[in-house]
Amino acid sequence: MFDIPDFIGWLLNPENWQGRYGIPNLIQEHLLLSFGAIALATFLALPIGIAIGHFNRGTALVVLLGSASRAIPTMGLLFALVMLLGVQLRELAVVIALVAIAFPPLLAGAYAGISAIEKHIPDSATAQGLTPWQLLRIVEIPLAMPAIIGGFRIAWIQVTSTVVLAPLVGLGGLGFGIIQGLALRNFDQVVASALLIVLVTVLGDQLLGFAQKNQAFRLGHLSGGKNK
Amino acid sequence: MKNKLKLGLAAIAVSTLGLAGCAQTSDAIVIGSQAYYSNEIVAEAYAQALEEAGYEVERNFSLGQRDVYVPAILEGEVDLFPEYTGNLLQYFNPDASETEASAVYDALTSALPEGLSALAMSPATDQDSYNVTQEFAAANNLSSITDLANLGSVTLGGAPELAERPYGPTGLLSVYGVSVEFLATGDTTVESLVAGDVDMANVYSADPRINQLGLVTLSDPAGLFLSSNLVPIASSALDQGARDAINAVSLAMSADDLVAMNVRSVEEELSAVSNRRRLASFRRPNQLTN
Repeated sequence: MFDIPDFIGWLLNPENWQGRYGIPNLIQEHLLLSFGAIALATFLALPIGIAIGHFNRGTALVVLLGSASRAIPTMGLLFALVMLLGVQLRELAVVIALVAIAFPPLLAGAYAGISAIEKHIPDSATAQGLTPWQLLRIVEIPLAMPAIIGGFRIAWIQVTSTVVLAPLVGLGGLGFGIIQGLALRNFDQVVASALLIVLVTVLGDQLLGFAQKNQAFRLGHLSGGKNK
Repeated sequence: MKNKLKLGLAAIAVSTLGLAGCAQTSDAIVIGSQAYYSNEIVAEAYAQALEEAGYEVERNFSLGQRDVYVPAILEGEVDLFPEYTGNLLQYFNPDASETEASAVYDALTSALPEGLSALAMSPATDQDSYNVTQEFAAANNLSSITDLANLGSVTLGGAPELAERPYGPTGLLSVYGVSVEFLATGDTTVESLVAGDVDMANVYSADPRINQLGLVTLSDPAGLFLSSNLVPIASSALDQGARDAINAVSLAMSADDLVAMNVRSVEEELSAVSNRRRLASFRRPNQLTN
């Protein structure tokens, strides 16, 4: 449907790599907003998820939040937050809207990772004299790590593909090229920007996937188990 | 050229999806509108004028953006559509250089594809304009875009596409010698202006908020902006009687009437589609302001 040389040409045009809305700036803003949201969501979701998994209480909350998050209209939430906080805090509004998306998978990942640990493992660790805090730090969290990283992978994909909405409220990010390109009917710009978004999303996911495999392999190796 | 073909195909695909559900009844005149409340109000005014003149009318409002509905008009699925001279001219001829109202209208008449005609142009306009807050205008003694040349730095806010429009930063520099720093404020342009994030904002001239917030619209003596008057676009399905009825509405509607209708719509939260009866006064726009 589209010509490959046209949007490659747009990508290679040095004009598009300069200024406030040049590609480097847009990528940077895209990543900063995404990292900000995921960092804040991590801070909130991991302790709660780990606690739920550890004490095996409040699992209903995980299910509830997981389903509820799917019903949130992100764009509506974004506009409501901008109106509520005022345009001068629009970065914060975007980050909060993205936290709402990143929170459930992170929570679910942490919870699933901890609760999947077979009961005899924490029991024997306790029997060996580990305090509850040591048990969490030395045994449970490392064992849950692959699942926790799995949560990060889902959160990353959802956040980096939703931060595309930021230009609607006057911010940058790679969605800018799509929104500007559609209005100008510059479809090379639209395709090129979409490609960059996919690239950033997939690259981040692959990196996290690598970390996840690495972690799982290390665990298998240490325990001499089936992952060896 | 290839782009145009792609666009055409995409737009036809979308419009077929969108319009497939609306069965076209016999001889009714199908009136379309953009997905823009002000445009819908005008479309409703046309509908009521035609009904009053004894025509059967089918309302097919909120068809979306130009890329979607222009192919639908060309296909003959829509017979009448409220449009804006400048923006439509730019759509058919992106290189058009006319900016003055009647020149734009003449250029549009010749740019329109076969089978479509522009009815009488209304004095009512809804076009891009540069606005500043009252405080900023008073502090810097501004009334025209020309006055901006005395200022050191001006930040301009607007939709992302303004960066590339002929009346955007490049036009300001070449026509008025005003250099601006552009900030894409998107849908929060007016809010950003009020909050002081930008000094000047591109707002449509019929936007009620200009009135409500007391914004100052800077005059454009050099004709940087494309004039965009309301103009009905009609297919050949419209007979002379129908054309006369629509022309009467267009000629009666002034720029202030259009703003007044928009203000009413926003303040009373009336929707052209859902609250037809209360909007009946829009039929004779000159009664509105009372």
